[in-house]
Amino acid sequence: MAKKTINNVKLGIFALVGLLVMIFSLYMIGKDTNMFGSNYTLRVRFDNVHGLTSGNNIRYAGIQVGTVKKVKILNDTLIEVSMLIDTKMKNYIHMSDIVSMSTDGLMGNRILNIAPAKDGSPLAQDGDLLVTKKSTSTDDMLETLDKTNRNIKDVSEELKMTFLRINSSSALWKLLSDETLPNNLRASAVSIRHAAVNADKMVADIHEIINDVKAGKGSLGAILTDTTIAYNLNEAVVRIQQVGDHADELAKQLTRIAETIKQDVNTGKGPAHAILKDSSIVINLNNSLSNIEKGTASFNQVMEALKHNFLLRGYFRKLEKKQKEEQQKAGY
Amino acid sequence: MSLPRTWQRFLNETGELSRFTGRFFSQGFKPRYEISELLRQCYIIGYKSLPLVGLTGFIMGLVLTMQLRPSLISYGAESQLPAMVSIAVVREIGPVITALIFAGKIGSSIGAELGSMRVTEQIDAMEVSGTNPFKFLVVTRVLAATLMLPVLVLLSDAISLYGSYLGVNIKGVTSLDLFFKQVFDALSFDDFIPAFIKTYFFGFAVGIVGCFKGFNSKKGTEGVGRSANSAVVVSSVLIFILDLLAVQITDLFGLN
Amino acid sequence: MGKVQTIENMSIKKMPVEKVLVIEKLCKSFGDNHVLVDFDLELNKGENVAVLGKSGSGKSVLIKCIIGLLTPDRGRINVLGQNIDEMNIRELDEIRTKVGFLFQSNALYDSMTVRENLEFPLRRHWIKITVAETERKVIEVLNNVGLLHTVDMMPAELSGGMRKRIALARTLILDPEIILYDEPTTGLDPITAKGISNLIKEMGEKYNTSALIISHDMNCIRATSDKIVMLIDGRCYTTGTYEELKENKDPKVKQFFE
Repeated sequence: MAKKTINNVKLGIFALVGLLVMIFSLYMIGKDTNMFGSNYTLRVRFDNVHGLTSGNNIRYAGIQVGTVKKVKILNDTLIEVSMLIDTKMKNYIHMSDIVSMSTDGLMGNRILNIAPAKDGSPLAQDGDLLVTKKSTSTDDMLETLDKTNRNIKDVSEELKMTFLRINSSSALWKLLSDETLPNNLRASAVSIRHAAVNADKMVADIHEIINDVKAGKGSLGAILTDTTIAYNLNEAVVRIQQVGDHADELAKQLTRIAETIKQDVNTGKGPAHAILKDSSIVINLNNSLSNIEKGTASFNQVMEALKHNFLLRGYFRKLEKKQKEEQQKAGY
Repeated sequence: MSLPRTWQRFLNETGELSRFTGRFFSQGFKPRYEISELLRQCYIIGYKSLPLVGLTGFIMGLVLTMQLRPSLISYGAESQLPAMVSIAVVREIGPVITALIFAGKIGSSIGAELGSMRVTEQIDAMEVSGTNPFKFLVVTRVLAATLMLPVLVLLSDAISLYGSYLGVNIKGVTSLDLFFKQVFDALSFDDFIPAFIKTYFFGFAVGIVGCFKGFNSKKGTEGVGRSANSAVVVSSVLIFILDLLAVQITDLFGLN
Repeated sequence: MGKVQTIENMSIKKMPVEKVLVIEKLCKSFGDNHVLVDFDLELNKGENVAVLGKSGSGKSVLIKCIIGLLTPDRGRINVLGQNIDEMNIRELDEIRTKVGFLFQSNALYDSMTVRENLEFPLRRHWIKITVAETERKVIEVLNNVGLLHTVDMMPAELSGGMRKRIALARTLILDPEIILYDEPTTGLDPITAKGISNLIKEMGEKYNTSALIISHDMNCIRATSDKIVMLIDGRCYTTGTYEELKENKDPKVKQFFE
């Protein structure tokens, strides 16, 4: 009899531990879904929710504060998202805080970010509508990359033309008394051509990738699941880097050349003066230089962003923030 | 009837099993209730299986973690290891592996026990002693298996996640706190509830098949061995079939 | 109990021979195998009847029909004045407290101690009985079979003869009026078998029971029974005492005595 009682006690402990594990895990799982604890509702409107669904997480300055309760279509261009927010946040979320959408990790779920506006607007109450900001999606990112590359292509094309013209003008070479200058120019021309070819290739690659992305699910995830595409992208990044380096170098050289030429022209030394007085060439050259500089800058950006690899998102957000600050400084 | 004999036997067996299950439902919930025998069976079937189930669960979590790590590293997503393992363990591997171990241990022991009771006339003796052997032996065991397997799966899940935590720490470093934070962040009710519900069906399958095979055991010691063996085989297959059904049903309800 | 016995004693006075078990035209077949064909048998109070037959001749089937473990195809079984086939489960339960059954393989519950084995029928039948009374009965019946020291042992620890004694004790603990013995000496050595046979006889007298003994062991039958019924081809072939049948010249009967 005593043994039976002991067995029953053991069984009881066993069942209780099981029950505790279940309750604990249910609580832990449910904690983020706001099933327990009090909360209030805030609303926000988007024109595109990019697959956001009820249950997705909401963060305030990066802290988990609630979940999406409902996604409702108001009309063909407006979608309203109801957010369940922890009551504890009532003292922190303001009316003008900006809600944006992003992805939790590279392949994670959609999340909503509430960014503090810090402008002293009143606190948001239950049912209030917060303002939104268009988010950078991976699609947009790729589009920007595409544009940048087109620009680069144009720039290198122009440069190529310019230098072809300079090259073909034999009079210029004869007239240039200084021996080093033509050598420099010639070397530069070769580099530029090289860069242009690289840029062309790279642009073609990027085009291909972007087309793939668009044809596919339209998300970066699609590329990254396909290892060959991922590998292509990596290669493209390396090429971009190379071109960027070249362009950088080239720009420096060109600046140097331009300065020398300018000196020569200004001081009226050397026979180059006459030809280079042709203002169209100078303007062209100047344009090219500034274009190259711009192109190089965006190249470097892209490069840096892609160096961050999986932290792409963070980088771009930083950049956006900076831009926004500048806008605010300039605009309002 | 021109059905091949193996098919005939299979269909006959299926029909018998269905009838047996029907008998369980028609007799199982009428008095007299064998509460103390049920508790005794719960103790034997549940509590006594914990060490085995816990050990397999622990090893499973550890091994799964170590096996998943290389492929996750190649995606640069090593930090997703706890999330990945937790979903795999809670949704599928925990319930199914535990149920299979359970089938191996409990299915065979029920099959052999009832089989030898049948062969040595203990079941007849029970009936003569004013006891409905179906209620006393079958209903209690089936209920105990149905009630105990979910508890075992819960504990096994917990233990295998702990094993996974150790697995993460073999080559990397994480705190128990962070690990379980990531685990529970990755899990939702949709992962947990269907997986939990299906374990009841697994437990029921193991119990009813074991009892069926044992209760209808053929004479002789060979019959007992055959009962134990086929109880394990049939209940293991049933577990997989039920798992297939479960995944389709959860899919139907849009819980995936 | 005492009251019931007085009533029975009175009836004995009125009717000197009381039939405790009557079987009429019992038929039972498994598929094409006709095990029992119009089998008749009568058992009087205090009488020990042996059913003699070859292995597989349906002797076990016969007593399983009597106790309600098997349902006969046709025929009537009357136990203590009640027809088995007309009873509901509750009445059947009650009859089973009055009819003991000693199984061929003892059927001791392997997972229980000897004490629990003996207590099992007392607990399971709807008998109101105190703990002290249960304990007293267990000790008493164990004493009667001479195995008091095994009370806390498991059946697996006992020898074949001891297990048979425990099984008999378990049958006796309900004070049955009829005991059905299913091959009580099968699988035992001759010396132990002799001991068991004597014990059956002794207990029959002590507990004042009638007995139906199924066996093919002539020594056992000779030692225990007053009358022998020969079960051949599913029928009651012939009846008589041991001595009468021994003199029988019928080859079918004779083969058992060689």
